Amino acid sequence: MDSVTPHCDHTTGCITCGDEAIAMEVLRVDEERGLALCADGDGAHSTVETALVEPVREGESLLVHAGTAIGRDSERGVAA
Amino acid sequence: MKFVEEFRDAGLGRVLAGEIVAAVDPERHYKLMEVCGGHTHSIYKYGVDDLLPENVELVHGPGCPVCVIPMGRVDDGIAIAREEGVIFTCFGDMMRVPGSEQSLLEAKAEGADVRMVYSPLDALRLAKANPDREVVFFALGFETTAPSTALTMKRAKAEGVTNFSCMCNHVTIVPPLRALLDSPDLRLDGFIGPGHVSTVVGARPFEFIPADYDKPVVISGFEPLDILQSVLMIVRQLGDGRREVENQYTRVVPYEGNLRALEVMAEVFELRPHFEWRGLGFISQSALKLSDAYAELDAELRFATPGVRVADPKACQCGEVLKGVIKPWECKVFGTACTPEHAIGTCMVSPEGACAAYYNYGRIARDREVV
Repeated sequence: MDSVTPHCDHTTGCITCGDEAIAMEVLRVDEERGLALCADGDGAHSTVETALVEPVREGESLLVHAGTAIGRDSERGVAA
Repeated sequence: MKFVEEFRDAGLGRVLAGEIVAAVDPERHYKLMEVCGGHTHSIYKYGVDDLLPENVELVHGPGCPVCVIPMGRVDDGIAIAREEGVIFTCFGDMMRVPGSEQSLLEAKAEGADVRMVYSPLDALRLAKANPDREVVFFALGFETTAPSTALTMKRAKAEGVTNFSCMCNHVTIVPPLRALLDSPDLRLDGFIGPGHVSTVVGARPFEFIPADYDKPVVISGFEPLDILQSVLMIVRQLGDGRREVENQYTRVVPYEGNLRALEVMAEVFELRPHFEWRGLGFISQSALKLSDAYAELDAELRFATPGVRVADPKACQCGEVLKGVIKPWECKVFGTACTPEHAIGTCMVSPEGACAAYYNYGRIARDREVV
């Protein structure tokens, strides 16, 4: 199962229930709608709201929680 | 995975553990609280506590969003979910949290249209796809999650989506920390600060801890080496006689936080005068509600809810666990009547809860095995 399809098990839980964000790499940017297509560490894709960290560019690593980028991971992705 | 394995390197972990052993005063006991449930989960998943000297004790804090939701709020959510024409959306773990009579998952089994979403934006999309239904989003979480809800409410308002509303249960991290520090139950020596809450709020809100309570705080990442390094930084502060907020997680956390996120939150939310925390009771100005400008999207104003305070089950000691007063295995029902499959308390429901972390990673023995 990919990480986009809602699922939740007793061991790993729902990724958004915990207050922990995950690092995702930006694959494509839609500046007009304030969205980016991103991939997590397992390669699963999801659309992410980027309004809080704009501007973003392809290859950089965003910290994503509940479908929204809340920060950047400066040691991953392309140099900022 | 690049940039993940480096923070889980066993050799470096042993080096850090050695440095901690060298830095501690063998004559004193160190009681450190990890505030965030994500840290608790990592500590037991990777066995971080087994690398620490016996006189360094980690106690678990209140930073598990699902764990702190009181039963009365679950009952209110279920009442809305049962309304004709409502699609009730929430995050996954929340569906299993027991209310006074049942959970949202059990209400779903009885016919309520309860659906799991990963993001409030998914709930908004659901509203746009179902214009003849009322879609309600049960928002919960600390400042890590609140920006996502705030952006969603802004979008809903801008796009004129009228069949969407939010039952807001967002909480803030500083008031419960102050309540814990004021509590006579617990004597702490320092804090492992929440990494991703701090991405949003920055490090500045924690400055009251060294200033008013003379205790160190180190904001920490979630990988095992992050946590070990943070413990070392706290122990060194204590040894040097320093008390300050240090940022171990500089690769992610700016000292000032995410100003844009704080701005959006300030527009969409306002502080509630008080809010009930499961096990901790009412804490002043510790939770968020929609501001007057967004009142038309407030599910609590749109639907009738019982709004009744429900006491926790007598057998459940989640309150003491959330305050770090007892270890999970000291609760009378831990691992017997209360398990992840049949949870009595919220700390056993969410994998970030201390009880679930102990249970899932086999920490059910009463004595630690130090390696």
